Amino acid sequence: MKNLLKKELSELLNQQMLLGLLVSFILIVLLGFVMTSTVSESMETSGEVHIIDLDQTAFTEQITEHLEKQGYIVETVSENAENPAYEKILAEQNWKEAVVLPAGLMDQLFFQHESCELDTITVLETTSTMVMMQADNSSAELVRDAIAVLLSRNLLGESMTFLENPVTLTSYTVANGKTVQANAFSLVSSMAMFDQLMPLILFMLIILTSQTIITAIGSEKTDKTLETLLSSPVPRSMIIGAKMLSALIVALIYAAVYGIGFATSLLFTVDRTAENMNIGSAFSEILATQQATEALGLQMTPIGWIGVIVQLLLTLGIALTASTILGGLVEDVKGSQTASLPIVILTMFPYILSMMTDIRNMELPVRMLLYCIPFTHTFIATGCLRFGQTSVFLAGMVYQAIFLAGVIFCALKLYQSDLLFVHSLGRKNKNT
Amino acid sequence: MTAALDVQHLSKSYGRKNAVKDVSFQIQEGEIFGLMGMNGAGKTTILRMLATLLRPDSGDALIAGHSIAKHPEEVRACISYLPDEAGAYKTMTGRNYLAFIAGLYFRSEQEQKECVALGEEICGLGEALSQKINTYSRGMTRKLVLARTVMTKPKLAILDEPTSGLDVLNSLDIRRTIRKCAEEYGTAFLLSSHHMQEVFTTADRGAIMKDGEFLAEGTPQELLEKYGAETLEEAFEKAVKAS
Repeated sequence: MKNLLKKELSELLNQQMLLGLLVSFILIVLLGFVMTSTVSESMETSGEVHIIDLDQTAFTEQITEHLEKQGYIVETVSENAENPAYEKILAEQNWKEAVVLPAGLMDQLFFQHESCELDTITVLETTSTMVMMQADNSSAELVRDAIAVLLSRNLLGESMTFLENPVTLTSYTVANGKTVQANAFSLVSSMAMFDQLMPLILFMLIILTSQTIITAIGSEKTDKTLETLLSSPVPRSMIIGAKMLSALIVALIYAAVYGIGFATSLLFTVDRTAENMNIGSAFSEILATQQATEALGLQMTPIGWIGVIVQLLLTLGIALTASTILGGLVEDVKGSQTASLPIVILTMFPYILSMMTDIRNMELPVRMLLYCIPFTHTFIATGCLRFGQTSVFLAGMVYQAIFLAGVIFCALKLYQSDLLFVHSLGRKNKNT
Repeated sequence: MTAALDVQHLSKSYGRKNAVKDVSFQIQEGEIFGLMGMNGAGKTTILRMLATLLRPDSGDALIAGHSIAKHPEEVRACISYLPDEAGAYKTMTGRNYLAFIAGLYFRSEQEQKECVALGEEICGLGEALSQKINTYSRGMTRKLVLARTVMTKPKLAILDEPTSGLDVLNSLDIRRTIRKCAEEYGTAFLLSSHHMQEVFTTADRGAIMKDGEFLAEGTPQELLEKYGAETLEEAFEKAVKAS
């Protein structure tokens, strides 16, 4: 077994694979840097207010002062022209958006008591929704709020300042039959880091290891080394076992590298984001979210983590064994290029659905259909454990174990039968 | 004395096509037996059944007394199979490849070392054994895989087209190696070939096959006499046309 495992690992862990792994790691960390700089830039620009002042009165000055008191950086361009060329002003100031305070604003609001229109200008440079969301016209909203506050202060007096904020909202979240004062979106955000990262890594691992093992077996068929191995006095279960174990080791190496890469990337992002925020308030917010998560019973226990890891290994085992079967049925290395398609589809389907919707609460027939795919259970594992559906989680684990035993049995039968050499995916073996 | 190989009424079909029909023959220790036939005659199917890669539909074969149908695991310890156009693991060096194969057949380190030493001697690749196999020429790879086939001193070595695609000098080397191993280690050889000359110069006995059946069996001289031919090609042509 040691001899076989060493050979399989030397085949899989070649220079090309290690180089690919290193490049992937660097790319993931670089992605973190890029995301961080984008987030930082977005946070920086979100603190800026750009105003084109055509009114130039004491009231527009009050607006600027009010916003600056609130911590915003206000940049103002005063214009006398009735219809200035906005594109020219934005280009000169290097702004992506701005709000226009029209001439006669103060007069209209204070003396004529009429509402007025503010023009908002946004520079369109891309079709990326993410970038456009960052460039969304926040200046206009801030200025509108400032006008409302200042107007109430000036017209109603200081005693009526409660009108600035007549209602405050307090969020409560209900989960697992408990109610806690916390914002549901903040709770989801705090849990999403792992709950979305794990399925992504699992998805990549399944695709990668399946393709690796199918290609490895396809190459052995092309080079006829598989025939040499299977006619040697080594039990076939050991030959398959060595192949699967080596692929699992490679998968775990990938998992470790991707995990460390993503974690480094995320930690860096969180660190830089906290730097840009008030550290104290960020920390207390995190602490409050954590306490709320615990109070609602949404935190993962150590036993829960172990369960998730077991499911992860079962899923990888199923993917590897199914790939061993598909690899055994391919004609040669060329045929292996498309042979992983069934596994890709069966992985992609529950993965994408788990990202878009809550599989656990889908219509029963659809849910049952998805539960038949063994990979689904790992994608929803943390959700089941966090929301008290332990029985669904355990049933999924038992199903995966039975499924794994089934595919191992099929793989052993295949490798002990003629099918390996007589039939292949797509056509019959012509060699007689 | 037990024959190295005793094939008894072996048959195999793929769906409706009968690839091998009721074939029987024997090979003694140290004997070289050649299967001659056109493409699709059933040569590879016989070799794969004897290598325990395919199960016979009916009949059996005993290799050193072990049944391929009932005890394939025991059979695998007595044979060594070289498929047609077989390659080796390209990321390994020639020496590592021999060591890997030795590890499949022997448990003790001493036996493995002796086996590798014999493989190195048989292939005659010298310093090239330290290089990776992906740098080898076709002839070098063939010598290496032939060496790994015979270095374990199997009771029966099964060789499918051992010289296909090789030049004259490399083919001669391979044939001499087969002859030498049969004489020195008593290994019985079953080889298949399109080349009648190869069988004539290498094998002690042979059989002409067509459509899964033996048309004739004997020494090269017996086959020549049977068909009144001067060459094996001529004997083969007459046998095939007469069937």
